[in-house]
Amino acid sequence: MQRFSQKVQEVLDYAADIRNRGTVDLSWMSANPTGWGARAKPRDDRGLGLEDINQIGGRYGAVPDYGDAHGSMAPRGCEVPANTPSLGCYDINDKSLVWADNVALLYDEAVARQWSSARDIPWDQLKPLPDDLEKAMCQLCTTLTEVEFIAADMPAKWMWRINHDFHEVKCFLATQIADEARHLDVFRKRALANGGGLLKASPANEQILRAIIEAPDYTTASSLMHILAEGFVLTLFRNGEMLALNEVEKKIFRLCMQDEARHVAYGTMHLKYFLEKRPERAEQIHSILAAGEEAIFALTLEPQTAEPRAILAGGGVDRILEGFAKLSYLYTKQVREYLHRLKVAGLDRSTRIAIPIELPN
Amino acid sequence: MLFPSVEWFSALGQAVNSDAERFRRLGTVDIALVAKIDYPAASRYFEIAFAGYRFLGARELPRLQAAAPGAVVLEGPFETWREMVENIQANGKADLAHTLNTLTLYDTPMRVDAANQLDTDLFYRYQQNLQEFFDSAGKFPTEVAAAEAR
Repeated sequence: MQRFSQKVQEVLDYAADIRNRGTVDLSWMSANPTGWGARAKPRDDRGLGLEDINQIGGRYGAVPDYGDAHGSMAPRGCEVPANTPSLGCYDINDKSLVWADNVALLYDEAVARQWSSARDIPWDQLKPLPDDLEKAMCQLCTTLTEVEFIAADMPAKWMWRINHDFHEVKCFLATQIADEARHLDVFRKRALANGGGLLKASPANEQILRAIIEAPDYTTASSLMHILAEGFVLTLFRNGEMLALNEVEKKIFRLCMQDEARHVAYGTMHLKYFLEKRPERAEQIHSILAAGEEAIFALTLEPQTAEPRAILAGGGVDRILEGFAKLSYLYTKQVREYLHRLKVAGLDRSTRIAIPIELPN
Repeated sequence: MLFPSVEWFSALGQAVNSDAERFRRLGTVDIALVAKIDYPAASRYFEIAFAGYRFLGARELPRLQAAAPGAVVLEGPFETWREMVENIQANGKADLAHTLNTLTLYDTPMRVDAANQLDTDLFYRYQQNLQEFFDSAGKFPTEVAAAEAR
């Protein structure tokens, strides 16, 4: 006769009881009596969203200021048995450290707006380009392939520590990771799809990426990444759409732009929530943003980052100076939009920004 | 269909609602966008609204202050609007030089504005939907009003 461990034998005995005596427990059927009778309704034809679920209120909808101390993955609003073991990893339990008032809506929107780099880009419309333009586009795509996944690695570093009572944040960050996987993948595809290839990586970019990945806590990492870096990249995507040489690039940059704006919206509203609850932390945010601004500004010195866009903006390597002149206006726009987002979040850096608002002519 | 008019913007919206499967694939969109068309001596304001997967409607506003809270303003001279519409008519969709993003990126010849940056960002967040909304102008004949009509 085969021997099993005690744990397995207990399960077999339980099954035998059910089979031989019809003994069943069914205590779960009377669990959580105040949570029974929920009837969440979709607000319109978009379907039943996470935000709609929260509208029913009570323990399901009310997001606590502090996540429950049980430390398990038990869902918010259920009955948690006393013997539920803590997993010991959820140490971000304060709502102010991760929350944004728009996060559930942004999750619903993100799910509804997923796209496919294989299916939704008209790859068959790529045509051969002059060498200088193809190289410039491939270098731009090399840089974007390099930097985009930071916005997946950074949430991945923190989300497993976030209390499950803040599932809206975890779900939104999961969509961001999927978005960034798609961005890495679509720019890599563009570089490899039209006779070119990947060109040169960017040591200067690695500085800002390091600052994000090594930020001491989630909110400073989020401020650096969602507001500063992704805000700048949002303008870069808008620039890419304008510089696009065909419908393929037009659509790539337009679709990426949409995703990026969603991430920026979360980061801005998270910082707003954080500073409302913890105004004493404003100086720390100023400080990390100042370091981030300097790191981003250093990118303008790096040829493989700055010159491809100037070639595309000018229309060829022989018109690169004309291209640089056009890009200087965009730099100012990037900085102003960044400052305006911080203002929405309640942080005024207009007099403290560590980099020039305008580039010299 | 005369551009600009409530009927013209509504026809774009009807094209969205009648091609539900295509726009459902683009995803939900929640924005009130005011098309501000500038003439030498005055402006006209057409507010178009979207919620979820649907175009809700268009209306002409007497002044910009009558727009919905959080509305995003897309503004430009009548001549630019006319060029954009005629380009869409000629190509069936905006060509590379006449997309909404391209026309607005440098704040000239068109620009985007809103009460705060997060509202402005909605224009970027729903860019594909808005582009395909205006590209619907390639589906029906348009008569562009003379500039002096205002």
